[in-house]
Amino acid sequence: MSKISNSSRVIVCDGNEAAALGVGLARPDVVAVYPITPQSSLVEYVSQMIADGRLQAELMNVEGEHSVMSALQGAALAGGRTYTATSGPGLAFMFEPYIRAPGLRLPMVASLVTRDLLTPQCVWGGQQDAMSVREAGWIQIYCETVQEVLDTIVMAYKIAEHHDVMLPVNVCHDGNYLSYGVSRVELPDQAEVDAFLGPRDVNWHVALDPARPMAVDPLTGGAGGGGPAMFVKYRKGLCNGMQNALRVISEVHAEWGERFGRFHAPLVEEYSLDGADYALVTIGSMTGAAKDAVDAAREAGEKVGLIKVKTFRPFPVEALSAAFAKVKAVGIVDRAVSFGWNSGPVYQESLGALYRTGRHIPAISFIGGLAGADITAEHFARIIETTAKAVTGAVPDGPVWVNENDQ
Amino acid sequence: MGKSFNTIQFHADRCDGCGDCMTACAQAKAGTDDLAQSRIRIVPAGGGVYELALCRQCGDPKCVMNCPSGALTKNAATGVIDWDWGKCVNCLLCTVGCAYAGIVFEAEVGHVTKCDTCDGDPACVKVCPHGALEYKTVAGIFNEYGDKEDLFAPGLSACQGCNSELLIRHTLRKVGPETVVAAPPGCIPGMGTVGYNGKTGCKVPIFHPLLTNTASMLAGLKKQYNRMGRDVTMLALAGDGGTADVGFQSLSGAAERNDQMLFVCVDNEGYMNTGMQASGATSFGSWTSTTPVGSAMKGKSTEAKNLPVVMMMHNCSYVATASTAFLEDYYAKLEKAIEASKHGMAYLHVYAPCPTGWRFSSAMTTQVCRMQVLSNFVTLWEFEPGRGLRFTHPVDRPRTIEEYLKLIGKYKHLEPEQVAHIRKSVHDKVAFLKRFAAADAAAAAG
Repeated sequence: MSKISNSSRVIVCDGNEAAALGVGLARPDVVAVYPITPQSSLVEYVSQMIADGRLQAELMNVEGEHSVMSALQGAALAGGRTYTATSGPGLAFMFEPYIRAPGLRLPMVASLVTRDLLTPQCVWGGQQDAMSVREAGWIQIYCETVQEVLDTIVMAYKIAEHHDVMLPVNVCHDGNYLSYGVSRVELPDQAEVDAFLGPRDVNWHVALDPARPMAVDPLTGGAGGGGPAMFVKYRKGLCNGMQNALRVISEVHAEWGERFGRFHAPLVEEYSLDGADYALVTIGSMTGAAKDAVDAAREAGEKVGLIKVKTFRPFPVEALSAAFAKVKAVGIVDRAVSFGWNSGPVYQESLGALYRTGRHIPAISFIGGLAGADITAEHFARIIETTAKAVTGAVPDGPVWVNENDQ
Repeated sequence: MGKSFNTIQFHADRCDGCGDCMTACAQAKAGTDDLAQSRIRIVPAGGGVYELALCRQCGDPKCVMNCPSGALTKNAATGVIDWDWGKCVNCLLCTVGCAYAGIVFEAEVGHVTKCDTCDGDPACVKVCPHGALEYKTVAGIFNEYGDKEDLFAPGLSACQGCNSELLIRHTLRKVGPETVVAAPPGCIPGMGTVGYNGKTGCKVPIFHPLLTNTASMLAGLKKQYNRMGRDVTMLALAGDGGTADVGFQSLSGAAERNDQMLFVCVDNEGYMNTGMQASGATSFGSWTSTTPVGSAMKGKSTEAKNLPVVMMMHNCSYVATASTAFLEDYYAKLEKAIEASKHGMAYLHVYAPCPTGWRFSSAMTTQVCRMQVLSNFVTLWEFEPGRGLRFTHPVDRPRTIEEYLKLIGKYKHLEPEQVAHIRKSVHDKVAFLKRFAAADAAAAAG
């Protein structure tokens, strides 16, 4: 159980405000903003903090998400700690500079207030935006609670700036359910956060600085010669940084727990898995309702547990395989679609982890919570029911669309 | 770096042989109307054409080399070939050495005479009624720039005849080493400025932005340097595609915020680095690889976006157009732009005719640049907030548009009605700018 650090304050706020407060504690140098639902109140909170002098950062109101990411890359190349947040179509518009940040090894932090992607036209929550960029090279961490949003924002800077990682981090929190969901939050003390994060460490390796002149991103590759080999070196370095992040994310979460008393599962959380025959796999804020449903089912004698994926990029293959090894079937619940596999993306990727276990246990893909739909405890009760049947081999043909028949 | 000197330039095409220059020289140097005592001579070459007999103040003077008595010397400060009567032995070997008839024996006075440029204020130039004689004073600028370090690496691989390499080298010399250079994809990084495979082409920090985000990346860099209290100049060297097309949103946003940077658009009217595709800055009628000429299409069917005017409407701290055929004009604007970039957005739009993509001989680039201006196809002007728009090289009696178009292969297919269209649009564009300039001048007068 968590303990409250002596210097922490307890407040009540929604996830967007919690993210903003986390940003304030991390003290970025430059914040660039462009509003988009359901992120808008987040950047409004950050802007107000800067206007009030509570956060002494440069605020750039730019003309779109593409320039948001571009301006922040410039600031990072000059050594600045940066922050922004976006959602759905904003992320899509940001994509061109967004996919460049990992290759430049810029330790940026950006919130994705996840939203379903067009079309049909939709402004509500869903994780299709974040899942669509899962191969962009950004670290992706999905939060379950408002508290975890705040804590993870701060931790993200420490993860990103670690010299073994040097990669940008997306802290993802669900549009609607976390962005606007209000909760009790412990607000850590600034001095303790400063001690935890240390000084900014952004451009030691790549800089646009007349004091250290270098060409940033000259053409690399070409037919023959050492160019393509140099390109491979960069690509491989990025992949290595991703793999290193698995260790660093765990270390940073452990240190956070030691300092602030809140131990969040860094990669994968195993919930009620002891003695479980089968498990649900969840990601993000749906996990709360899923845990309630698991608790109720346990009380009713069902041997069900839960596996929550917190870190999706890098994909926690070992942690997930270890959890899968404990059960005989899994029901994997996604808030997004893998169009090519007729399943959810967490499901599709989990198949790779299952392959590692060498056990071909039954696995069902559930897709729910699209376009702001609620996945309630009742929905999860039915998910548990369906997954229970899979233990004996009854696996539905194709994905189960959780909210398909909601009225 | 060698030293340049001021000099008298002769425009043979403007000379009608009136002889006013000779009269003025004879008066100034001998106090007489006797043209035989003029040190400048206009010589009929037949067919109404005139040639000039005048000392060129050579950098490698044969007269000085021939002089056995040390009477002739090259003045290291002014560049003038000085003649000393006290040392002269009247051997006339100097006159044998000169190929320009610039030093000649004058019977009236009994010794050789030559031009001394009237100590930098030549009498002949002042009286020439047609501007055929011009005293060029750009030497000081070249010397100033020549003394500055060239901050690009040697051996950039621009096409033969390209003026962009000249432009960027001179620009960066002036902007100096406390600079971050952004070179979005195009000819400028294509010639190797950002380097290849880990090697740089520049001595100051340089990077490839995306084609789309040059201005916003520089804006973020500048924000952080300002925050750290460091004065670092942000310099964009972008093509017209990265400025007028996909690069425009970020440029417009940065201009609206008046972010501090010097943004130089090198306008070669298209995507010349990747095979001469059309851009929003490609002129009407141009052949490009995506506005080809065939039975159904005759080149680009729409006008070029007039980007410098669009930037002027953003109320930038400084906006100007420039041509590398008028470097004196460019240098003056560059100085203003550098100063303006300390406070906000300074935008320079430099015209860069492309021998490779426009289909003209690589020896003709400066000629094409000059004819662009002399025909009013492009106009040289500057805009400063509070002062408004001002022509810096007004051309009141422009050459015909045909004289410009005929120099360039990409226009060779033009039908008469297309030429008429271009003639009208050039006229309209100049008239549009003149209305601005007149209104601003009237407002300034009060």
